[in-house]
Amino acid sequence: METILSINSISKSYGPIQALKNVSFNVPQGSVFGILGPNGSGKTTMLGIILDVLKADAGTYQWLGGTPNAEARRSIGSLLETPNFYHYMTAWDNLEIAAAIKQHGKDDRQAVLEKTGLWQRKSSKFKTFSLGMKQRLAIASTLLGNPDVLVFDEPTNGLDPAGIAEIRELIMQLNREGKTIIMASHLLDEVEKVCTHVAILKRGDLLLSGKVDEVLVSEDQVEVSATDIPALLSIISAMPGIHNVKQINGALQLNCDSHITPAQVNEYCMQNGIALSHLALRKKSLETKFMELTNK
Amino acid sequence: MNNLLSIEWMKVKKYPTFWIMAGMFAFLLPLWNYGINKGFLKMDGGKSGIDLIDKAYNFNNVWGNLGWWTSVFVVFISVLVIILATNEYSFRTNRQNIIDGWTRLQALHAKWLMVFALAAGTTIYVFITGVIFGIANDTISNFPGDITSLFYVFILSLNYYGFALLIAYLFKRSGIGIGIFFLYHMIIENLARSFINWRFDYPAGDLLPLQASDELLPFPLVEIAKSFVQTEEKITATTFVAVSLAWVAVYYIISRFRLLKTDW
Repeated sequence: METILSINSISKSYGPIQALKNVSFNVPQGSVFGILGPNGSGKTTMLGIILDVLKADAGTYQWLGGTPNAEARRSIGSLLETPNFYHYMTAWDNLEIAAAIKQHGKDDRQAVLEKTGLWQRKSSKFKTFSLGMKQRLAIASTLLGNPDVLVFDEPTNGLDPAGIAEIRELIMQLNREGKTIIMASHLLDEVEKVCTHVAILKRGDLLLSGKVDEVLVSEDQVEVSATDIPALLSIISAMPGIHNVKQINGALQLNCDSHITPAQVNEYCMQNGIALSHLALRKKSLETKFMELTNK
Repeated sequence: MNNLLSIEWMKVKKYPTFWIMAGMFAFLLPLWNYGINKGFLKMDGGKSGIDLIDKAYNFNNVWGNLGWWTSVFVVFISVLVIILATNEYSFRTNRQNIIDGWTRLQALHAKWLMVFALAAGTTIYVFITGVIFGIANDTISNFPGDITSLFYVFILSLNYYGFALLIAYLFKRSGIGIGIFFLYHMIIENLARSFINWRFDYPAGDLLPLQASDELLPFPLVEIAKSFVQTEEKITATTFVAVSLAWVAVYYIISRFRLLKTDW
């Protein structure tokens, strides 16, 4: 798999505050790469550096296998921190400037405004937009020229629940079209729902990075329930490969070895005379994992 | 290069403040001179009864005369330059332009090209105004007369706008930028100039950033008076031109260093 972005030992300080400490990771082509961390962990600093608005103290990064940075930036769509547009200009004119700098995408303006639900407001000045509309315009701008790589910093900031769902769907759709998406977020739910890969930052340190499946692989939980819970509990606790059983709200949550599948659990229970009324595989929520990691 | 300038033009052509500030310059410069020319605006308060400068609109004198008033009115455009450059910081569009694919150097050069274009525009406008005043007060056969001052108008505009751009890059906020610009222009430079000229035999204070160009376009009465009295010029106009251009180079170098090395 080709590498879209390669980050090598990047460090950055703001006076005494070390915002990034020797951070390295690669973003593979076709992934939805989540950069995750609490407020102040260095997510936006990282994105600012790879977009050349901030200067790293040390380390290097490489876009698209060594394409010069400005040229690479023209071919990717990026939203960093806040929607940045000329307040006195309309959505339409603002997109014209973005397209002129990118040197392509001027003819896509109608399509991207329609995609982000702003077509009716194309002639409104940016300063009259609500926060959510500003965010939509920023996303529209990233789509100019149909880029293969997108960088989103907190893309659902300021959006209402319907807007959040729409943007999520848009991100997943873009990924299905084969686009690589690099996304920073402090909203775990957001990352968990859309990301294939994740890098977790805490106070400038990279705690881990990799495929969401791999990072969370040993943490799967199986949830089971039956009419006779005490009987189920005694039987299931004896099953080889099950470490821990917790009773939560009329169901049992099982921590098991990675090779244990829900089918094996079901079979074991049937053999022991218990019919399951509920069986589900639950990945340990990213939130739990995240809290564990960042509270260490 | 054309592409950079055309993008800057897209930014300003929809900006009401641009048209108001440029319009004030374009409207007040000829109106003010019309007042002097027609005699209802008296520079000496009408006390002396001598109105030399209202005679200064023939082709030979109109360029120096308009040039001096331009050196007063260019502050409108200088303030405009500060507003346009600091807007990029307050809207954070300086970042967005980079994110969308400009290099930092392109962002810097776009603004410097705008400064050159505004200086050229100012010069062309003064030329047109000068031709109109000249035709109204002189015969066309005397055109263009001593037009060197028009070249000085370009140098002066470039110096003022370049200085304004540097101030904008150093202070990043329009309020403080405009404040510092006026503070320097009206007080600090006068103070420093007077002190240096008083302290030393050589009038080095006249070579300070904005003053170096102001010296090229002195108050018209002074020029007329000089034609009656022999005075010794310690610093030639060529030196003032060279020093003004050197200051422009200094503004460019400092702004380049600042924009290339720091976080945005």
